[in-house]
Amino acid sequence: MSVAIRADREGDHARLVATGPFDLAHATMAARAVENAEALLAGCGSVDVDLAQLERIDGAGAVLLARLLDRLDAGGRHARVIDDPNREAARLIASYRERRAGLPERPTRVMNPLTRIGALAAEVPSKANEAFDFIGRCAVAFPKAAVTPRSVDWRSLPRLIQEIGADGLLVTSAANLLIGAIIGFLGVSQLEGFGTIALVPQMVVVAHFRDLGPLVTGMIMAGRSGAGIASEIATMKVSEEVDALQSMGFDPVSWLVVPRCLALAIAVPLLTWLGDVLALVGGLGATIVVSHMTAGAFVDVALNAINPNNFFSGLVKTPFLGLSIGLIACGQGLLTRGGAAAVGTRTTTAVVLALFSVIVISALFTFFYALIGI
Amino acid sequence: MPLLKPHITVDDLRAGWGTRVLLEHITFQVERGTIFAILGGSGSGKSTLLRYLIGLERPQAGGIDIDGVGEPHLYEGVPRFGVLFQSGALFGSMTLAENLALPLTRWTAIRGATARELVQAKLDLVGLGPFAEHLPGEISGGMKKRAGIARALILEPDLLFFDEPSAGLDPISAVELDQLILTLSHDLGITVIIVTHELPSIFLVAAHCIVLDKAAKGVVAAGDPRKLRDESKIPFVHNFFTRSAPGMSAHKGG
Repeated sequence: MSVAIRADREGDHARLVATGPFDLAHATMAARAVENAEALLAGCGSVDVDLAQLERIDGAGAVLLARLLDRLDAGGRHARVIDDPNREAARLIASYRERRAGLPERPTRVMNPLTRIGALAAEVPSKANEAFDFIGRCAVAFPKAAVTPRSVDWRSLPRLIQEIGADGLLVTSAANLLIGAIIGFLGVSQLEGFGTIALVPQMVVVAHFRDLGPLVTGMIMAGRSGAGIASEIATMKVSEEVDALQSMGFDPVSWLVVPRCLALAIAVPLLTWLGDVLALVGGLGATIVVSHMTAGAFVDVALNAINPNNFFSGLVKTPFLGLSIGLIACGQGLLTRGGAAAVGTRTTTAVVLALFSVIVISALFTFFYALIGI
Repeated sequence: MPLLKPHITVDDLRAGWGTRVLLEHITFQVERGTIFAILGGSGSGKSTLLRYLIGLERPQAGGIDIDGVGEPHLYEGVPRFGVLFQSGALFGSMTLAENLALPLTRWTAIRGATARELVQAKLDLVGLGPFAEHLPGEISGGMKKRAGIARALILEPDLLFFDEPSAGLDPISAVELDQLILTLSHDLGITVIIVTHELPSIFLVAAHCIVLDKAAKGVVAAGDPRKLRDESKIPFVHNFFTRSAPGMSAHKGG
């Protein structure tokens, strides 16, 4: 038997006979049947709903019939359920009619674009406040860590350097090697026309040592360690571990933030330095493959180009890159409030901010060098 | 004479963020050595109030005085109280023994065999002696809470806070935990503050309580929970203690 509602009219009285299975599996058909039946009721003063021929009814079917009855009542038609012999169906429908709350309030989080922009702008002062608050606490925590070493989790430092530095070596090395090779290829193809291929090694050294090396390593660390640290601390925050630390008298900034920032400030320079070496290897490989330059000649020119200015101007940036990645990741982690979703949001924000900060800090250093003529 | 002074005095506390007030006009005192319960339905601000009592948040107005010393200040010297968080909040990468030893290494010069002995004694006290070398992930929820209590006790506080200790526990574990709380209070003379909504636990352990209500944004009743159950005329308090929903008695009659 298929799902249907038959309407028998007698003047201004109608009798609706529901037949077939009114259940979740047939809900779409049931909804259409309800709609069709309603269309036939124009001008009726009273309606009886007969449930005797229902094959089956569950909550889904009951809701559809309950809402039909609600609408009939609201339209001023007297609706009555003939509950004999199907009392259970009638009770089920009645229970859905009783528990009808008003329309749900419109949740305020559904915002139009303008409201959203406004809300974002309104959040700026409190966001800035949070950031300054955190920076202030860090500014206190770092000197305090030196005075009271017990307030810092030094035991975690070797593990952190391992996780952040050694475990990240493969990916930063591969990236630096490839960037070196790219500069080599580009250099050969562009300088060939001018007959100045001999300058390619110098180009690799200057471009990579001064800017690209720290930038590439910093960006990879921002993605890799920034996400790792932010999600670790955010999870500790939502599982009350940070609160527990505080309740035992630990300052989470000293205990968690100081070792992570230190680990990054140690690991990023080392990884950059190794990356510089690998970039030279990449550049060398690319150059001797696509040009007639010999390996010996490349190394000669490259070594000549590695002066203290080129070498240190890049490396000097790197502890600051590490520090900013650490501060941003830890700060976002500690600001987490709420559940699992908040961990994801904060991690995303941490990675985006850390990447951006790496680029901004690198650029600031480069401008500064240009200004003082290094 | 100092023993007669209340252990905790909360005076006209207002809690909230910015312009949003969550709780206001909170005033109560907790006598030394007693078990005091903070009650209320979900979302009534019980756990929020706890965060203020243990100093994780700063009140917008009013004051909290612990031990006549003043507000609970965080990380300024040895903590004066222990806290059991809802999940136990043990550090997942450390064994139970390491979790307990952490506050010791931070705040005392105790190391080595003595530290191990103290840690083991606290674990034995909560019945977790054999699990000292287990990681928190390897033990059950009830055991995590007991380990959390052991860690809260390690610095010998005379004041303990419990955030919904029996939430998520089976009835037997919950009763065992209640017994442990009674033991701590009676045998060790520790003042205990419990945030909960578990009625059996309240009637078993708590001598005094306050009841918070979401709508009132504050305390709607205070006193002995058994007396409140039998005598309170306030509908919310009556419903709370007798486990009845608003309008339920009318339903029964009709």
